[in-house]
Amino acid sequence: MQPLTKTVGIAALILAPISGVAGSQTETNNNAEQQWHQGILAGYRSLAAEAGDMSAAAADYCSTPEQESRDALEQAWLDAFLAWQRVRYVDFGPVESDNLAWQFQFWPDPKNLIARKASYLLDSEAPVSDEVIAESGVAVQGFPMLEYLLYDETLNAGNNALPAEKTCGLLRAVAGHIEANGKQLSDQWQAFRKHYLATEQYRDTTIRAGMAALEILEDRRLAQPMGLRGNGKRSVYAADAWRSGSSLRTMEATIHGLEQSFLPGLTRLLKESDQPELGPRIENQFKDVLEHFPKLHRPMTELLSNDDAFSLLQGFYVDVSQLTTLINDQAAVELGVIRGFNSSDGD
Amino acid sequence: MALLSNASRIPLALAISATLLTACSNGEETASTSSATEESAAAEAITKSDVVEHYAVLAHANFEDALTAAQSLDSAVDTFLESPTEENLQKAKKAWLTSRVPYQQTEVFRFGNAVVDDWEGQLNAWPLDEGLIDYVKEDGYQYELGNEGATANIIASTEINIGGTTVDASSLTPDLLAELNEIGGSEANVASGYHAIEFLLWGQDLHGFDPGAGQRPATDYARGEECTHGNCDRRAAYIDAATDLLISDLEWMVAQWAPGQEDNYRSQLLAEAPDTAVQKMFFGMGSLSLGELAGERMKVALEANSYEDEHDCFSDNTHNSHYYNGQGVANIYSGSYTRIDGSELTGPSLSDLVAELNPELNETLSQQFEESMEALQTMKSSAEAESEPMKFDMMIAPGNEKGAEIVNGAIMALVAQTGSIEQAARELGIDSLKPDDAGHTF
Repeated sequence: MQPLTKTVGIAALILAPISGVAGSQTETNNNAEQQWHQGILAGYRSLAAEAGDMSAAAADYCSTPEQESRDALEQAWLDAFLAWQRVRYVDFGPVESDNLAWQFQFWPDPKNLIARKASYLLDSEAPVSDEVIAESGVAVQGFPMLEYLLYDETLNAGNNALPAEKTCGLLRAVAGHIEANGKQLSDQWQAFRKHYLATEQYRDTTIRAGMAALEILEDRRLAQPMGLRGNGKRSVYAADAWRSGSSLRTMEATIHGLEQSFLPGLTRLLKESDQPELGPRIENQFKDVLEHFPKLHRPMTELLSNDDAFSLLQGFYVDVSQLTTLINDQAAVELGVIRGFNSSDGD
Repeated sequence: MALLSNASRIPLALAISATLLTACSNGEETASTSSATEESAAAEAITKSDVVEHYAVLAHANFEDALTAAQSLDSAVDTFLESPTEENLQKAKKAWLTSRVPYQQTEVFRFGNAVVDDWEGQLNAWPLDEGLIDYVKEDGYQYELGNEGATANIIASTEINIGGTTVDASSLTPDLLAELNEIGGSEANVASGYHAIEFLLWGQDLHGFDPGAGQRPATDYARGEECTHGNCDRRAAYIDAATDLLISDLEWMVAQWAPGQEDNYRSQLLAEAPDTAVQKMFFGMGSLSLGELAGERMKVALEANSYEDEHDCFSDNTHNSHYYNGQGVANIYSGSYTRIDGSELTGPSLSDLVAELNPELNETLSQQFEESMEALQTMKSSAEAESEPMKFDMMIAPGNEKGAEIVNGAIMALVAQTGSIEQAARELGIDSLKPDDAGHTF
């Protein structure tokens, strides 16, 4: 019954043997794949760079804990987290190894596992080392843990509030872990290029990744907190990043990321299809969706509690649904991409 | 997310018409094989309709077994309540464990058959915030964020007020428990079903990653001064009502699959185009195998080292729940089911259909089912070992490499078989595996 859904993970574990049985393509007819690879590479590089800045900002804040360094750290956290949101849709390739996707963002967390893991680490005698973080599971290793340390009201009202030494230790270790993962992902994606371009199946895999991301965004990240699914109750806790009030910013970043690195390859394929006009329609729909910002740069709590604000959210939801329909139903069918099982099937 | 590696680039319309041709030619073959041996004629005569019909037979038998086992549970609980001894508590627990064997196999019918999915919450909702039902240890009780009912303690309260709704709980009836499910809009507010009963028999498992399940004393149901933790009479009334509700719910589902009825789900399913029902079969297998069992029930628990995400967390019976889920998926493909009386039910199966079109794929998939059941058997054996058993909540502990290997082995096997399930679906002309209940209420 629990609509707990990790957005990325198990599905394509068995995807491609490196030898590429599925046949290969020539350089001339895989321009879409080249565009995708390049776009995603830029996204991963940005994630690696932002994560490096975040890690430096954490060190800076912990050595000089002042308002200025705190503000800089919060901004650096948001910048890096949004860089992740832009490439979050990629659910295949190197991001699958070591569960990197879950490491970056364990979500949703209805049982507040993050708080429990944090209090366990903060209360234990042992110092928080990189090894401890490496062994502590995905609830500890990513952006939501940092968000918890920076923004959780209960934590910030107690003795463990930053810049307490132990909490700073955890903050820095997790930031360092994310930085290392960002670098690993960017390097591995680059090395993955040849295999990606040579393996025909990645055309459909990439399209399905965009489809799944839109489905998750519409259903789980938006409809679920809005109370449009399941029991009809609005709940901010079902949203991403509710502690920092940046749920809507994360969605904006995901859509923006899709527009930047997914859409160009898709429109190229559509241009060669029987329905070339679909491409421009999808491009326009992306614009419509993104036009809701910056008006929607408001905390989810606020948008859910006030009917006027909620109607803004409804308008956004309608546009997102239309985008999903255009891509997942029309474009996918036109390109012969069939939806398979995904890891969010189930309940 | 993509599973299948060599998804076809054939346009959809073409794929469909190819299937239609195949279906037609099968029919002709069947008509013209009179000279063949009886056995091969029978094999070739298997149609999608036969397979769907047998699927309904299988569902009916499986739910019937779940009902029979629940009736035994109900009477064991009644005996325990009459005479609340430790021995009778153990017997009731044993009956609960037995009742999970057929029920977990029915879960494969959930996905795709809305009649089952809409109904099952009242029986198997999970995870639950048990503080809704009874006392919990204050320290370390984790409940769903924002759930106002998480500490309501129905057993200790004759009136419940959650999220502005007040409910008279002075009389604990099956109807009341049904009404209290999801009170306040939280899915973690589970007042009835297997896991509520499990909690009432075992109590909270306070051992974390260490050996040991819940340790509720039998005296929680004692009369008079011997009663521990208070409200023993209400606790007894609660579990009595919960087991009664379980039986009436299962009776309803058995009736939905019963043959010879004009207005039940079975007749509706058989009246649909066979392809629609075959799609439901595949969708049920794939969804349980991948998203639900491999994903929600194993991978989340393992990767987050979270025993809150353990399926049968009070009784530490999770390995069996997983094992029989896996068995349920395999049952649908092979068209076979071992009933609780030991008899075998067999009949026309998806395997027969796939074997006709693509024997190699059928062999691969059958082999993969064996492998996933072996992997789940490894989990089961390890959890049930006489010396130093490793239960699921221990397997997922941080740093337990051997445990992680066992769980990952099962996950990988399920992922692999789901890839072939997709392929088999396409082989039979089922192109979209999108859930048919994904609509929104906007």
